Amino acid sequence: MVNLAWKNLLYDKLRFAITVIGVAFAVTLVFLQVGLFMGLLDNASVTIRHLNADLWVTSKNTPNVDFAHTFPETYVARVRSVPGVARADNLIVWFMTLALPSGSQEGTLMYALEDFTRWGLPWSIESGNLGDLKRGRYFFLDRSAEKRFGKFSVGEYREIAHRRMKIIGSSREALSFSTTPIIFMNYRLAQEINPDELDGNTTYTLVKLAPGADPEAVKHEIRRRLPHNDVYTRDEWAYRSRNYWIESTGLGLNLGMTVLLGCLVGVLIVAQTLYTSTMEHLKEFGTVKAIGGGNLQIYGILGQQATIAAIVGFLVGAAQTWALSPLLAKINLRLILPPGFAGIVFVGTIALCLGAAMISFKKVASIDPALVFRT
Amino acid sequence: MSVLEARDVTKEFREGREAVPVLHGVSLSVAAGEIVALEGPSGSGKTTLLSILGCILTPTSGKVTLAGEAVDPRRPDRLPALRRRAIGFVFQQFNLFPALDATENVEYALNLKGIAGRAAKREAERLIDAVGLAERKNFLPRDLSGGQKQRIAIARALAGDPPVLLADEPTANLDSAVGAQVLEMFRDAAKSGNRALLIVTHDPKVRTIVDRVLSIRDGRILEN
Repeated sequence: MVNLAWKNLLYDKLRFAITVIGVAFAVTLVFLQVGLFMGLLDNASVTIRHLNADLWVTSKNTPNVDFAHTFPETYVARVRSVPGVARADNLIVWFMTLALPSGSQEGTLMYALEDFTRWGLPWSIESGNLGDLKRGRYFFLDRSAEKRFGKFSVGEYREIAHRRMKIIGSSREALSFSTTPIIFMNYRLAQEINPDELDGNTTYTLVKLAPGADPEAVKHEIRRRLPHNDVYTRDEWAYRSRNYWIESTGLGLNLGMTVLLGCLVGVLIVAQTLYTSTMEHLKEFGTVKAIGGGNLQIYGILGQQATIAAIVGFLVGAAQTWALSPLLAKINLRLILPPGFAGIVFVGTIALCLGAAMISFKKVASIDPALVFRT
Repeated sequence: MSVLEARDVTKEFREGREAVPVLHGVSLSVAAGEIVALEGPSGSGKTTLLSILGCILTPTSGKVTLAGEAVDPRRPDRLPALRRRAIGFVFQQFNLFPALDATENVEYALNLKGIAGRAAKREAERLIDAVGLAERKNFLPRDLSGGQKQRIAIARALAGDPPVLLADEPTANLDSAVGAQVLEMFRDAAKSGNRALLIVTHDPKVRTIVDRVLSIRDGRILEN
């Protein structure tokens, strides 16, 4: 079969290129916006996902993992006594001030546990031994901190809460949504350097369930015993932490608007180029009708052209995004694009391009077939 | 036997609220193997009549019969099928598809008529060969002369072996030598293929190959 749609596209390569660029631009925009947003959101819950805890006990109405409030650390004993709890430990997450060698002050987000290894935090260790954290005024610093704090090496000292402390190890991939660098230190040391708020207090209790325990039942029982706290499963807490940033910052709306604009630009370019192309090929379409074709054949040609532009544009857009990914990683921006989302964008691109072709369908349906006789 | 017949055909176009009559009770018939020229000045209704005979337009009233089948103006959805089966068109501007080469232009018409694959390719090449352009079968229309384009257009019109050929000013854009060659080709297509051929024309040379000449003025056939 002669494929008139494909042949016409290849015949007018410049127009085809413009259409593909339009679609690719929209696809890249959507991928980058959503991918970066998901990467950023992932930071908001990356520690929750990696911590080996099934349940999180928080103070009442804690909005996300970074913005913790305190409650008495002795509550952990009540949690440990709940049937189905294999173990429970306190975790402090707290903002601290860190002084750099230059003398400037920077904020840092501290994670403090008695036993980091037991809870799998930090999950990617670059250097150092977590067991050494309890031996003195030591801490681990995540490598991502270099962007804010400058280069650092294990063995160097920094001042945290006006106390000189030694960096004894470094981790990777431990990020916060607010980009505040994360440090890891011993639980008791954290209380010691910030006694006013943390002495006798914690910000979270991590719970590991016994094998076969029903998470909902355990959660319910902890809630009954700690009525002034909240209890979440890992997924619920991760969702709450991420959702806070979407709802409270308007980022979700911003993202939606950008994605909408990206789609609009793509649709307009495809619709405009297809329509112009249709107008220029009206006589050809009239000829198709004269030699026995109907509107369906012409719709088929236009639909095929829109689909080809969508597929090629999607592939170019996806390739562009893939090529940009390592560059973005260099400036600590992560792109997260689940295959399911890519599939949605692919189907959406085809649907929108076909939608754009509908304007041309309308024009073709109203072609006066007698135009084939006009000179 | 008449292959193409029109009886008391009228056609009105609407311009706003006004009905503008273009054809007034036109009757004609063309037999198999017969070549008829339709002459008339601009605005006389030639193209409208050709469109109606070619099932591109439907008449306001009257009856059109093509290859034994009466055209039903109430069923415009059936017209494409009738065009595919019974009519081959040749246009003044050739109307070849610029993105398709010579063979593909013919093959596409065959595809529309339900012939696909190797059979369509073979038949397209045979028709291109029949119009003497085998050596140019892979040329795009932009690389062909006017005469060559019109020969490809004739090959395309012959695709699917239709019993009726309709040509609209087929020699208007050709010089006289090439025009004469094309007219010979038309005569051969009509006579050896036993097809009814109606040529709308201003070109007096067309009279050299026709069996009859019809004149149309102000929407009425004057001579028969």
